[in-house]
Amino acid sequence: MKFVDEFRDAELGRVVAGEILAAVEPDRHYKIMEVCGGHTHSIYKYGIDDLLPPNVELVHGPGCPVCVIPMGRVDDGIALAHEPGVIFTCFGDMVRVPGSTQSLLDAKAEGADVRIVYSPLDALRIAKQNPEREVVFFAIGFETTAPSTALTLRRAKAENVQNFSVMCSHVTIVPPLRALLESPDLRLDGFIGPGHVATIVGARPFQFLPDQYGKPVAISGFEPLDLLQSTLMVLRQLADGRAEVENQYARVVPWEGNLRALEIMSEVFTLRPHFEWRGLGFISQSALRLSDAYAEWDAEQRFAVPGVRVADPKACQCGEVLKGVIKPWECKVFGTACTPERPIGTCMVSPEGACAAYYNYGRFAREREVA
Amino acid sequence: MSECVAAHGCITCGDEAIPMRVVRVDTERSLALCSNPDGERASVEIALVQPVMSGEVLLVHAGTALARAAAGEVPT
Repeated sequence: MKFVDEFRDAELGRVVAGEILAAVEPDRHYKIMEVCGGHTHSIYKYGIDDLLPPNVELVHGPGCPVCVIPMGRVDDGIALAHEPGVIFTCFGDMVRVPGSTQSLLDAKAEGADVRIVYSPLDALRIAKQNPEREVVFFAIGFETTAPSTALTLRRAKAENVQNFSVMCSHVTIVPPLRALLESPDLRLDGFIGPGHVATIVGARPFQFLPDQYGKPVAISGFEPLDLLQSTLMVLRQLADGRAEVENQYARVVPWEGNLRALEIMSEVFTLRPHFEWRGLGFISQSALRLSDAYAEWDAEQRFAVPGVRVADPKACQCGEVLKGVIKPWECKVFGTACTPERPIGTCMVSPEGACAAYYNYGRFAREREVA
Repeated sequence: MSECVAAHGCITCGDEAIPMRVVRVDTERSLALCSNPDGERASVEIALVQPVMSGEVLLVHAGTALARAAAGEVPT
């Protein structure tokens, strides 16, 4: 594929790896968090970490939208799916996430009408095709996905589609990063910022990382050379004693974001005072609900949602993995009781989850000792 | 479920976007028929990137075009 190949050029990759080696102090250990699950997936798909010096450690952040959904929220979705007459729609990965007693896929096997959609627009189309049924869309995702839901709700309102509603579980990226930095568990040197979230929100919201925490950031694309170059940018900032937001993905990410998307999101959504994140607990103003103007399409107002809180299974250490405190292979059930075929925790479900990325690319144990 | 291939990452709910070439534009409904690198076609919401013309390449996430693709993302 023309152009894409250039971002996967192995020889150029080795050149950047050499520059990375030259930028690090040999007796210093560097911990850089890639925030986005898409980056985690690319790092293991392309073996990026094998090109890094042993004292540069990539820590996986909370940016997989499936992984951060707490079990109680999954149970709420399953309860809606079991409501008579409901067609429950969601993205593909979500159907396999275990709730406390079953997954949406299990609910489907029991007779619930659960359908996988590629986009919220597909869910709206199902609603228009089935006017006698109630169609609920389980909306998950960060700011990358929230505009799709917002535009769909706008369309539902404009076309007055009354049998469509949204169970909104959209989350925002800045509050969990702040929570991670306030946590005593983890010492991070810098961040590889999420490229497609930044396409919507811009690079500007990440300015708090250098300003308030003195941490360098490079907003990154998703190809192997993007990730290597972003790692180099963070390491060079550290070597120079700088801390700023650099935009490696400037070919797509504008500093101010997509203003049209931000405007539509602010019309359709409002911040929840609190939202529970798997492994991170309750974080204030970290998730979205529908604004009052769209209350009619809010599934949580239309149906009696149980709103249950469920503790994670004791064996599951997704919380520590999401915080970057442990590597997936350090979890007691990784690759044994918990596999992509039979996941216990969310991080093993989505291909963007750190556990699934490690498992799918054969990282069953620590392969190199940190100097 | 074919869009959600473990080997390629999940494009439906993650922080991923895929380049798609615009085949036909319906400006009034803010939709475009687009083709992905494998030639599969889908209807894409274009409200965030309008005006759009046939032949342009968009970065598409969950059925919505988030941005115009730069040279690095353009499939042949």
